[in-house]
Amino acid sequence: MSNRKEGARTQFLRGTLDIMILRSLEALGPLHGYAIAARLEQVSRGALVANMGTLYPGLMRLEQRGLISATWDVTENSRNARYYEITAAGRRALASEKKEWDRMVAIMHALFGDA
Amino acid sequence: MRVGDLSALLREWMHRLIGTMLRRRRSDGDLAREIAFHIEQAELHLRSRGHSAREARRLARALSGSSDAAIEALRMQGGVPWVGMFTLDVTLGLRMLRKYWGLSLVGGLALAVVIGICTGVFLYFNVFWSTALPIEDGDRVVALQTWDASAQRRSETSLDDFDRWRVGMESLEDVGAFRTVERNLSVDGGAGERVAVAEMSAAGFRVARAAPLIGRSIVADDERPSAPPVVVIGYHEWQRRFDSDPNVLGRSLRLDDSFHTIVGVMPAAFGFPINHRLWIPLRADAEGRLSAPPLGSVFARLAPGFELENAQAELTAMGLLPDDMRAQDAPPPRLLVLPYAQNFIDDIEPDQYGSRASTASMVVLLMSLLLVPPALNIAVLVYARTTTRQEEIAVRSALGASRRRIVLQLFVEMLVLSAVAAVVALAGVWLIARYVEGLLVRQLVELPFWMDVGMSAEAILLAAALALLAALLMGLMPALRATRQFARPGLSGLTSRNRARLGAFWTALIVAQVGFSFAMLPVAMEMAWGTLRAHLLGPGFPSDEYLSAQLSLDTDAPAQLAEDPTAQAVAFARAQEELLGRVRAIPGVIGPTLVSAVPGAAPLAGVELETNAALPTDGEPIQAAWWNRVTRTLHVDAAFFETFAARPLAGRGFTSDEFSAPSRSIVVSQRFVERTLQGASPLGLRLRYARPRSSAEDESIEQPWYEIVGVVPDIPAHPYDGTVYHPLAQGSVQTASIVMRLVPGTQAFGNRLAEMAATTTPPLRVSEVTTLDELYSAQAFGNYVGGFALVAGTLSVLLLAAAGTYALMSFTVNDRRREIGVRVALGATKARLLGGVLKRALRQILAGAAVGVAVALFIENQLPAGSNGGLDIPGALPIGALFMILVALLATLGPARRALRLDPNEALRDGG
Repeated sequence: MSNRKEGARTQFLRGTLDIMILRSLEALGPLHGYAIAARLEQVSRGALVANMGTLYPGLMRLEQRGLISATWDVTENSRNARYYEITAAGRRALASEKKEWDRMVAIMHALFGDA
Repeated sequence: MRVGDLSALLREWMHRLIGTMLRRRRSDGDLAREIAFHIEQAELHLRSRGHSAREARRLARALSGSSDAAIEALRMQGGVPWVGMFTLDVTLGLRMLRKYWGLSLVGGLALAVVIGICTGVFLYFNVFWSTALPIEDGDRVVALQTWDASAQRRSETSLDDFDRWRVGMESLEDVGAFRTVERNLSVDGGAGERVAVAEMSAAGFRVARAAPLIGRSIVADDERPSAPPVVVIGYHEWQRRFDSDPNVLGRSLRLDDSFHTIVGVMPAAFGFPINHRLWIPLRADAEGRLSAPPLGSVFARLAPGFELENAQAELTAMGLLPDDMRAQDAPPPRLLVLPYAQNFIDDIEPDQYGSRASTASMVVLLMSLLLVPPALNIAVLVYARTTTRQEEIAVRSALGASRRRIVLQLFVEMLVLSAVAAVVALAGVWLIARYVEGLLVRQLVELPFWMDVGMSAEAILLAAALALLAALLMGLMPALRATRQFARPGLSGLTSRNRARLGAFWTALIVAQVGFSFAMLPVAMEMAWGTLRAHLLGPGFPSDEYLSAQLSLDTDAPAQLAEDPTAQAVAFARAQEELLGRVRAIPGVIGPTLVSAVPGAAPLAGVELETNAALPTDGEPIQAAWWNRVTRTLHVDAAFFETFAARPLAGRGFTSDEFSAPSRSIVVSQRFVERTLQGASPLGLRLRYARPRSSAEDESIEQPWYEIVGVVPDIPAHPYDGTVYHPLAQGSVQTASIVMRLVPGTQAFGNRLAEMAATTTPPLRVSEVTTLDELYSAQAFGNYVGGFALVAGTLSVLLLAAAGTYALMSFTVNDRRREIGVRVALGATKARLLGGVLKRALRQILAGAAVGVAVALFIENQLPAGSNGGLDIPGALPIGALFMILVALLATLGPARRALRLDPNEALRDGG
């Protein structure tokens, strides 16, 4: 995890962490928690750093809602890790959220006069 | 904004709740492994970037966040923390109930009695005073009542007025009427049975919004004079008489001399207009009048857009047709539009309807205040107990528990106790309701269809609210006081200077508790004895061999009789004489006798004694207080005293002349002489009845004086009230009861009596057939419940007072351990030790006794035993006081023994 200045970090908007996790799992397949955090940092170029106290409760919440499932498995380095995978319900929820986001982004663009 | 719809959200909360309640969530070990893996990966990544192992470890932890915080956050997400804490508190509360089982038993009993009484009273009002109808838009169903102001009762309505209202009123729709008639019913030529039938307009089924199970209901065409006679039957009739025949439509049944074709079967729950099971059309050419409620009434639905006030104004404007039967100077009847069920409650002054609801609420509220004494009693004990848990509370505080958390835990402990008490109370009330329902069924009393004798959701809510209130009183107050010194956290609150004390406030509460017990015990003893005496000692004769039934003229009596009261009285007398003659002729019957009411159930009336002719006792005139001048009054025929084997104890019985014309001679019971005449010789004394306050009679008309000519034994024995007997002139009362003694083996006489009564001229209606034993048992039930509640409540107050004294003594011994240790070490004798320890407790007991005795004397002076339903027990106050002192002293024994057995070395070592 890269060391970034506090001011360069961006706070997670409420609810966006869930979408980011689902999208990461949809794009890359089953991942463990650290891999998800690394993915988010990579995509955001270091702007988004999910600490454990935020990430893992979010993963548990999504699992409780049935949007992801989790199992213990062995990594390439023969370590035990808990892998998360998106479910069919998760894919449907993600598609629905994406649609909503696209709509909101379009509205905001129009508001701010972007082309 | 969280991802997922409502079902996903519900699923999350179900997981969390199940995780908390059933402890099915990821273990801390599992969580820790996942977190450890995350940090390990972070370390590896940093090392691959060139950091040293130590630096990588440090940075990994700094960048990833606290492991402990992450695990804590996962625990929170995995369950519902406040539910978990509440579950834990409830578990602790249950353990406390077991550990302090004495307090749980006594306190729980006291609470259960009070909650049970409040819930029972609430249920009574809910069932018998409620006017809610269990039909669609039931609040818009109304009744049209004619109120006779001069007679203070509901009166009949003419069918002509009904027709006018049906046609003319705009604010009402589906205006209909019914009257209950009696018919002899037979099916397929079988034996006849006297049944009540509702002669009802077709509108009745529309108003009730009820569809038949099979076939159709009565329609407008059936009301035509020329229409063929039809009948609609109820579900139970269909089952019982026709074996639930699916082809019952088109079959006929016979009502008196007329055959009616069955056109429909109604569902089991249908009983409109009251509790009917058979319906025939109210014909357009019907004769007579609509009986007064409950035997008849006009009903309707409020039309859309109209309310009760509109209908009332319109009906008042329409008024009544002139009535030749009404006296010219009599005030005109009032016409009322009422919620339907209100019409059938009783003869109630119309202006008092509105106050009934507020009266019921006030009664329930006042009864709820009964919760305060036992709750405060228990609060004292809880406080005393809490002070012995100081170490536990201090340690919890030091470990981080806030004062709020500790107080909440103590509150939940009490909530568990009061919840258990509420459950016990509800179970008791439910059992009583079931018993009452069974009693009503056995006595063939069918309740109106809108009354359901059973537990209601509102009653359960009331019990829950009372339990919560009790828990607040018992748990919150002591907890706040006991944790006051823990306003600053840590074990520093545990010094002797900061220990909770049983200060003046709590000591005063204990004194009040003891005083309350002293004051209450004699009163409770007298009230319980007054309530239970008659039932415990028995009626004094074989009441199971006596059968009674109420007689009245059949509602289908010829129309001329209904319009001529004199002719009605003559006809009633003739029919009674005919029935009595037939019954007398049956072997195995002793009697029968005609009475205005069954002995033991006669109405009460106030009397005035003619003191200027009074024969004084010991030279003083009779000074019977007002509550002793209430007596039962009974009209009896010549066979009464012989039927009950009651020979005069003084004077004589009635002569034959006194039965044939209105007589001023009366005979009184032994209890009347004891209670009202204070033991004075009664023969020759005169009395008259006090005028009722609501009477509309002219106050200048004197009430007649009656002279006592004889005294007879009490029937039944050991009554609370005395009885005044008048000779009964046959036909002089609207309804009368027949009572007879049956030789054992002839008890199945009720149906035969009804058959015989139906064939007199004119026919008589027989109702409420019961043995006197069943009647007295039904009366006893209510008294037993009341008596038991009184005894249980008193016992629990007594035990709580004793427990309070015990707690005070325990606390004193505990608080003075060091001092006692020093005294023992210096050679103090046991007697001196005991005296020193008991001194404080005895001071409280004697202070409480003084207060209690003073209050008891005051109560005795203001409300003597006879005025509150109790019976005077000589020496009740000193006996009660001695008993209380004994109980209180016994309560001090345990702590006193502990004080005497104290090891001075231990006491001095432990410190104070």
